[in-house]
Amino acid sequence: MGKKRRGPSLEELLARPWCYYCERDFDDLKILTLHQKAKHFKCERCGRRLNTAGGLSVHMSQVHKEQLTEIENALPNRVGLDVEIFGMEGIPDDVLQAHHQRVATQFQQAEADRQAATGNPPAGSGASGQPAKKPRLEATSDLKKRLAEHRARRAEGTAGGSSGEATPVGAGQTPVPTPPVSTTPSAYAQSPTVPSPAPAPMSIPAPVQQYSYPQPYGGAPAVAPYQQPVNLGYPPFSPASAQPVPGASPYPPTGYSPQPFPGQPGYGASPSPYPSQQPTPTESAIPRPASLPPPPAGLSGLPQRPAFAAPPVNAQQMQQMHMGHPVPQKVAVPSYGNGNATQDTPQVPPPSDNNVSSAAPAAGTEKPADGTEKPSKKDKSKPTRMIYSDETTSPEEKMAQLPRYAFSRDRFTQETTVVSELGAPVTGTIRDQDTVVDPAH
Amino acid sequence: MSSSNQFTIASPPTDAISALKFSPEAESTRIVVSSWDKHVYLYDLRDENGTVGEGKLLQKFEHRAPVLDVCFGDNENEIYTAGLDWDVRKIDMNTGQQTVLSSHEAGVRSVVYSPEHSIVISGSWDSTLHVHRTDAGPDTESQPAVVPLPSKPFSISLTSTKLVVAMASRALHIYDLKALALLTAQADSESTNGNRVEVEPWQRRESSLKFMTRCVACMPGDMGYASSSIEGRVAVEWFDPSPESQARKYAFKCHRQTSEDGFDVVYPVNALAFHPVHGSFASGGGDGVVALWDGIAKRRIRQYQKYPSSIAAVGFSSNGKYLAVGVSPGFEDGKDEVSEGVVKLFVRELGETEAKGKGAK
Repeated sequence: MGKKRRGPSLEELLARPWCYYCERDFDDLKILTLHQKAKHFKCERCGRRLNTAGGLSVHMSQVHKEQLTEIENALPNRVGLDVEIFGMEGIPDDVLQAHHQRVATQFQQAEADRQAATGNPPAGSGASGQPAKKPRLEATSDLKKRLAEHRARRAEGTAGGSSGEATPVGAGQTPVPTPPVSTTPSAYAQSPTVPSPAPAPMSIPAPVQQYSYPQPYGGAPAVAPYQQPVNLGYPPFSPASAQPVPGASPYPPTGYSPQPFPGQPGYGASPSPYPSQQPTPTESAIPRPASLPPPPAGLSGLPQRPAFAAPPVNAQQMQQMHMGHPVPQKVAVPSYGNGNATQDTPQVPPPSDNNVSSAAPAAGTEKPADGTEKPSKKDKSKPTRMIYSDETTSPEEKMAQLPRYAFSRDRFTQETTVVSELGAPVTGTIRDQDTVVDPAH
Repeated sequence: MSSSNQFTIASPPTDAISALKFSPEAESTRIVVSSWDKHVYLYDLRDENGTVGEGKLLQKFEHRAPVLDVCFGDNENEIYTAGLDWDVRKIDMNTGQQTVLSSHEAGVRSVVYSPEHSIVISGSWDSTLHVHRTDAGPDTESQPAVVPLPSKPFSISLTSTKLVVAMASRALHIYDLKALALLTAQADSESTNGNRVEVEPWQRRESSLKFMTRCVACMPGDMGYASSSIEGRVAVEWFDPSPESQARKYAFKCHRQTSEDGFDVVYPVNALAFHPVHGSFASGGGDGVVALWDGIAKRRIRQYQKYPSSIAAVGFSSNGKYLAVGVSPGFEDGKDEVSEGVVKLFVRELGETEAKGKGAK
């Protein structure tokens, strides 16, 4: 066991070159001078990098006939031109002292924090403490190992079935084994409804009619009728579709594959094709995306696969939205769209809006990275505070409501009602389907 | 040094700035600014001797209510304004004559003009677009076509062929301007059911940002657009619906600061503007920072030193030599009153390569 690498010592820290203008420290002097040339001594007009502030000043006045007044990117109290700095040279003594002081305090603080956190002795006492410490260290590591092994064994023993299946799903394997599906988490919770084909198809056409939304690309394969009701019915808040559930994303492609398959015309309308659908066409006709693992041997079990669980998922997601989640965190729709996009590219080119929007997350842009689980994690690691966080009213609208901007038109009373009515569709989208529909039509 | 090529314009608006636009004429240094103080201001960066600096207030047009947006028309002698009095107006700069083109049923947030199709499009919180044909002739009675939208439009932007409407609920519509002009012109001639025209957008998208869209701006090359949200993020997307193009879209975080207590303070990105020559774009945030970005190479070109207050609007001149920055105290900092002298208009003279991307690494 080699010596554990601790942070740099105070001497090392104090010896690091640092920039007078911005107090940043560097690994070596060369980088510091490069930094200064790029950040502080660069001519804004022509991009030329000078060695010193004086040099830049002369350059500015001679070449551009301008007067240099302050150093760019410098701390507010260091913008002055009066000190001639090159690398570490020229730093006034008091500033140097203050810097050392600061570094030392920081170092001690870090040391104290570490001590408090780990309970280890300070760096200096290592020499005497080491022999005694070593065996102890080994003991703990052994202990931990044994504990880990024990835990693993126990987990295997007790959790056996359920955890065994849940993980593969997340790990990108096809959740072929059906019975356990019901035990897998939320996204698949609806799979029990699979056997009864009726609800799903029924629920799909319904919204379509209800909204009487134009379907310009109705001619397109089955996907359109399928996806659109979902996204159109809730166009505003299908934010859903932007956030793939990491665990689920590998899953939908297989689950969904039947739809793009053109040989299934009646899919949305009649339940009958449902049973016939699963076995062969899925596997033979649709190329599996490379990201998917090879089709498992148990593929004959395909009929059981909750391919049709999708609508229920959406239903659940609707529910989530009804609960008033402004941005539902757990949503599966996107991943389905996602899957479609990657899997069956011909689906994407028709500029069907939904396809475009769903192609987006698939595109591997920032969205996937920001996926469902991540935001919450991120929030924990680095709490954010939004300056403006109203999701439905724009700052201008807020401002317009201030009494000093009040404008009384003849129809002023009407204006107020109009405004409140406008608010309704937006909030309604989150909470209740009916309120969305009513004011809109 | 940063101050040497930047100046503030004399006699700025007395209340928050809502929009600023440079004249469409190539070498013009004229700029219009709309403000919550119920006026639209016309400035020229050049003084009588033609030297740039300080700027000069040429004219001031009073409105009945705060003005939320302004844009130039076919030439720099006409402008269109949109405001809280629900009206869309045309103002003749020479005579100062104001004509109301149409009235919405709520405040009008934005107005844009398409010189290619001679139409003025306004977006209002009554969740409609009004499309006005300016070549309709002397028949000023002709009513604008009303295009219903699913949500309130917050920002609209156009290229020579497309119109991008960013709405509440993260919805976004892209219209084909030609189709829009055609359909609305037809509706105008038929003049049925109050000129309401359902126009199917060319593309219907969902914002790739998770929070409310704040601003949208189209690339000069008719390739795509950038949009920003209230949550310190900017997304760059392409019109082309092919998967290859869609794969190029991305978003990034910006306009954030870490506060003393370790919070990441996230500011809204209020303004976006593309550089007409280099295709880079500027973003202005509630944190008072203006940054230039190379949207293709995905790199930041530069970030200017913090302005004293929130950035309300940014704009490049037609020749790309000037960058105007409208600074107003943001409502985001919860201030109710706007004190004297905080609303400022900065103009930065850009160096040859100042807004040019450095190319991919």
